[in-house]
Amino acid sequence: MTITIALQLLIAGLSVGSIYALVALALVIPFKASSILNFAQGELVTVGAYAALVLTALALPYWVVLPVTILIGFVVGLFIERAMIRRIMAAPEFTLVIATFAIGLIIKSAIRLYWQDNLFTIDNPLPFGSFRVAGVVLNPQYLWVIFCTTMLVVCLAWFFKFNPLGKAMRAVSQSQEAARLMGVSVERVLMISWGISSAIGALGGILLAPIIGINPEVGHLVLKALVAAVIGGFTSLPGAVVGGLLLGLIETYSGAFFGSTAKNILPFVVLVVFLLVRPYGLFGRAPLVRI
Amino acid sequence: MIKKLVGLGLASIAAMLFASTASAQGVTKDEILIGGFGPITGPAAYIGLGGRDGLTMAIKEINAAGGVNGRKFRLIFEDDGHSPTRALGAVKKLIDQDKVFMIFCAAGSNATVGTIDYIKAQQRVMYVSFASAPAVTFPFSSYLFRGATTEVPRYGELYSEFIAEGLKAKKVAVMNGREEYPKNEGNALATALKDVYKVDVAARAEFNIGDKDFTPQLLAVKNSGAEVVAFFGNPAEAAIAMRQARELGLKQKFFVGATMVDKSFTLAAKENAEGATGFSLIPFLPGTPNPTLQAWEAKWKKEYPNLPVGRPNVFDVMAYTDMYVLAEAIKRAGPDLNTKSLIAGLEQIKNFSSSPLAAPITFTNKHHIGNLTLTVMEVKGGNWQPVGWKPSRPSEILKRYE
Repeated sequence: MTITIALQLLIAGLSVGSIYALVALALVIPFKASSILNFAQGELVTVGAYAALVLTALALPYWVVLPVTILIGFVVGLFIERAMIRRIMAAPEFTLVIATFAIGLIIKSAIRLYWQDNLFTIDNPLPFGSFRVAGVVLNPQYLWVIFCTTMLVVCLAWFFKFNPLGKAMRAVSQSQEAARLMGVSVERVLMISWGISSAIGALGGILLAPIIGINPEVGHLVLKALVAAVIGGFTSLPGAVVGGLLLGLIETYSGAFFGSTAKNILPFVVLVVFLLVRPYGLFGRAPLVRI
Repeated sequence: MIKKLVGLGLASIAAMLFASTASAQGVTKDEILIGGFGPITGPAAYIGLGGRDGLTMAIKEINAAGGVNGRKFRLIFEDDGHSPTRALGAVKKLIDQDKVFMIFCAAGSNATVGTIDYIKAQQRVMYVSFASAPAVTFPFSSYLFRGATTEVPRYGELYSEFIAEGLKAKKVAVMNGREEYPKNEGNALATALKDVYKVDVAARAEFNIGDKDFTPQLLAVKNSGAEVVAFFGNPAEAAIAMRQARELGLKQKFFVGATMVDKSFTLAAKENAEGATGFSLIPFLPGTPNPTLQAWEAKWKKEYPNLPVGRPNVFDVMAYTDMYVLAEAIKRAGPDLNTKSLIAGLEQIKNFSSSPLAAPITFTNKHHIGNLTLTVMEVKGGNWQPVGWKPSRPSEILKRYE
């Protein structure tokens, strides 16, 4: 393997990994706030992709479609939390997880009612195609995904560190009861965390649509995002990003060295081995218990 | 004595009636119940949705024209999700629970192979419209018929001749998915290229359904020095792979499997599909400026006004025309319709085209491969267009049925 091929695989791995990272981020946010693992997150990516498809069909420019899609995602997240999650918050965690799974199936089936399983795509929003740097081909669409993911992490880091609402979310994630006693509206915080998470999912959808196409199965990559989030530590935002990128690299290099079968198996083998060594993931920490 | 004879006669009549009723499950004096299945969800839904809708439209037309031999068709269609186990479940339900007369298979090879043993055991006719899996027609079974599509070894013959003689390639790379249809076609091509034309298969690369990145496979193809890349998979994967191929600087011509010679591929791969070649199973593809096809498309759009861009696709046309082949066979089977008479009716079909949209179909009592005629197409200006190349090497696949 030449240096150029190794670098090309590196770029490919980071590109795919950035997609996993983006969806993993959206998984981690509501989990941090409410300890609910949202299995409908993949379908929220699908909602974003279809929202972008509809808006693009209305001949709106990409720079209008992008924020409107994110806004649609945010509103869908608020609606899901308000209409369903809040009403069953007292149920066991397992029930909540299954409820999110059901929400995902409802979304997917509703999409199929109109669009069926046909494959759609939207045009590359960037005005230039792929280019070479030192013999390595770079696709601007992937660079755009990597840029958006990086900006998102920076914004979220700022939000959780400095914004009062972000601080409230952190407080809620530590103890809902204590946060409530400190005057935080826990319900409002949870609702907004679902809105943000859903908006990130929708962002993922519009970013992925020109790259991998649009059909009701787009959200299937939530499984890979889950692996990424677990590797990262599940409650850590940088962990989700690092986990996603690592997963993308493992997949790409294992595919190149050992073929397509290994590409599907090896990431999960690594996950199992990794959890045996670091059960709380790369950036996760074991909960401290005062005795 | 007379009493004995009368008793024997009555018993014989009862036995005959019972036999007739038993073999004519799903047939009444005014209705024929057909069970259909195909993937209407999942990665191969572009196959089953077209199959279901084309089939439904043909049935509606045939019924409106009075049906066949006084009977009208009724269809029950099940989703197989492109899975062999789900397909088997669907066929069991259709035969055991819904009591259909026969099965119309609008599935891909992956799902179809799961049903073959059960169909043979149940001794029900299954008319396979799209699946190229060898097990459908070889070894020969009286109950299995392949309509618009052809058998994998025939693909191997045609693909290899076109690539070796038409495209003059000396080195070829084969990329294929790991499921039934792409794996079979990739293998058939590689074998025929090596054995018949002594063409070097410089690289073989496999991928999985749903893969989003093909960089490792494409780099292997690039380094192999192949002049043509033969790709077998679904349009969603092809669209990503062909875009990445161009980005990675692969200038080679792409040849794609017959399943992708359709609008679903050109719409997904867009400008990256330009110059790709492949074989079509029907003479004209939807979107071709042919008056007969345009009239049919107008009729289809009236029937399904809200379906998206990309439909009708090649699978709508194949299922539609195959239903007319089936109706013709049922007509020839006569009023006493049962499995045996249907097989006899189908085996009378010789060089039959229900319309200019369909390739001619022939069945005999030796083989049930309906279609051996394919047309080479190339993507020009975003659409598949006939190239005009004709194969000259006689097919040898029918020899094994002699």
